[in-house]
Amino acid sequence: MKLLNVTNRYYIAIALALLLISSAFLSYRVFDLLDNEISEHMLFEKMEIEKQLSAQRDIQGINFVIGDKIEIEPLEKFTTFRVSLVDTIKFDPYEDAVVPYRRLSYEQLIGEDSYRITLWKRLSETEGLFSGVAFTLLLVAIDIIACFYFLNRWFSKRVWKPFYRALSGLKHFDLHKGERISFQRSEIEEFNTLNVELSKLTDKVARDYQNLREFTENMSHETQTPLAIIRSKLELLVQSEKLDSEQLGHIKSALDSVNRLSKMNKSLILLTRIENDQYNIAEALNFSQLIRRHLDKFDLFISSRELQLKLNLEENVWIKINPNLADILLSNLLSNAIKYNTIHGELKIDLTSSQLKISNSGAPLTIEGDQIFERFKKGDQPDSVGLGLAIVKKVCDHCSCDIHYTYRDDRHVFTIEFPVEKVIDEEEA
Amino acid sequence: MKILIVEDEQELLQSMVSFLKGSGMTCDMATNLNDAVEKIDMSDYDCIVLDIGLPDGSGLKLIEELQKKDHQTGVVIVSARNSLEDRLTGLNIGADDYVTKPFYMPELVARIKSVFRRRSFQGQNEIIHNELKVIPDEMLMYVHEKLISLTKKEHELLLYFLSNSNKVLTKESIAEHLWGDHADMADSFDFIYSHIKNLRKKITDNGGKDYLKSIYGVGYKFSNE
Repeated sequence: MKLLNVTNRYYIAIALALLLISSAFLSYRVFDLLDNEISEHMLFEKMEIEKQLSAQRDIQGINFVIGDKIEIEPLEKFTTFRVSLVDTIKFDPYEDAVVPYRRLSYEQLIGEDSYRITLWKRLSETEGLFSGVAFTLLLVAIDIIACFYFLNRWFSKRVWKPFYRALSGLKHFDLHKGERISFQRSEIEEFNTLNVELSKLTDKVARDYQNLREFTENMSHETQTPLAIIRSKLELLVQSEKLDSEQLGHIKSALDSVNRLSKMNKSLILLTRIENDQYNIAEALNFSQLIRRHLDKFDLFISSRELQLKLNLEENVWIKINPNLADILLSNLLSNAIKYNTIHGELKIDLTSSQLKISNSGAPLTIEGDQIFERFKKGDQPDSVGLGLAIVKKVCDHCSCDIHYTYRDDRHVFTIEFPVEKVIDEEEA
Repeated sequence: MKILIVEDEQELLQSMVSFLKGSGMTCDMATNLNDAVEKIDMSDYDCIVLDIGLPDGSGLKLIEELQKKDHQTGVVIVSARNSLEDRLTGLNIGADDYVTKPFYMPELVARIKSVFRRRSFQGQNEIIHNELKVIPDEMLMYVHEKLISLTKKEHELLLYFLSNSNKVLTKESIAEHLWGDHADMADSFDFIYSHIKNLRKKITDNGGKDYLKSIYGVGYKFSNE
């Protein structure tokens, strides 16, 4: 959820709650005041009636000057001074319905006779008032919330602008390109601090990355010579006539390890080269032919493992790619598919203008599927250096091709999707 | 064969000298560009083994110097950089071959001998080893003057052995010579074994001696006797 929506959501929730509580309170207060007012009014009327009645000897000729309903009934004898004030309902013949009334009744002596005097006051007006108040309040609430919403959006957009700018800068930050992010100064101190810290952080990351890259590169280059020396000395040693089989065995192990190291080195150098964008000149290549050419090189290895080769190549698929990278890609993928195939297994290659799919038979991996492209992840293949597929992935990233791995029907499947802009029409090529 | 080795790394230089001397070559050494230029001014070499990254300049300059003299010296570049551009520049400017560090010594010997053959006889020479005779550019072999055809790999293998006769060649070096970058295919050692078996059979079946000796799982040796 977006920042603006989150703050707005909270503001609106709080505003709604406050409005509800205050309208409830307000309505209650208005109603209560009104209610008291009615009772007071009735008591005042009672006093007025008492005053008027007490001046009389009997009830003949009494003319009350209050607009409400008054009932006067004679009593046997005077029983109480209590005044009762209750809310009740009563049939109203004009409205033809039962409506709420408040009743005030008391006993009074007029001359010698006792009378019960009852005052009736209709309450329904107050209810109308109540709903009127509620409706007005609701309108006010909607107004306030709408204003709140739009104002908040507008303010937030203004206030958070530097933040969003920094965010988009970070989003487009690419370590490989080695560009710095430029943050704009804002009038808000916190954002400036954030930008300064972000600049420091990204600069540090970029510097570290650069150092790491240089380290890998230098390390691989600098180890080449000692490796060459070790190997040359071992080769000289192996020529000696005086060695017994045990000594030769030791030399062989040492040679094997030197070879592993130097293979690893070569792969690391290759990875660094691709990262350093040393293979940046692309040209249109006929992938269909290129695959056939590579397969020829592997012919012996395919036949010795008695692999079933299933080729399904669309002719004349032209891809814009650096020739070195294309060679590295195909050679690594194919050797991988042959090396880790089963005897009599299947090697299947499908090529269309949008994708290349290479699949081979084999037991499932002991590592997670998506780790297969990570450096030095080699599952249970102790002989492998574990960089071949990392190189493949790097090449694909570099050419903005998408590569993914799946294991289906006892087969390892590598699929490369060519981006549309890399595929070239035959005429253009 | 007189060779000049130009390499700034002392230890590697010593190894190369030892190995090349062991292969019957005469070696001069230079550890920097100046020395090397002086040496080629003073004497003629059949081949120069040249490291590109020298302390006082690029080894490619020596090739330029060499072009000024009109002679028949072959050049094999040795470089720590395996980039295609380097390789192309080196070959364009007049080098005959290119090996990348770390390389196998027998590979270097084979390259030097191949360059030497191409330079001195325009490739039309023969390699004779007792009763064996091999024509480098054709996939043919004579055993006691009897013509025997070889497969491409058998031919490459035999040439490699003959360039390094009486030397122990490790399986790795053979695999790399035959298959280059694909040498690490899991079972290539089995192929070496079967190629060697076939080659040995072709020689011995036709009255040749069994020259191919296996050396305790380390590799093979093509003996002189």
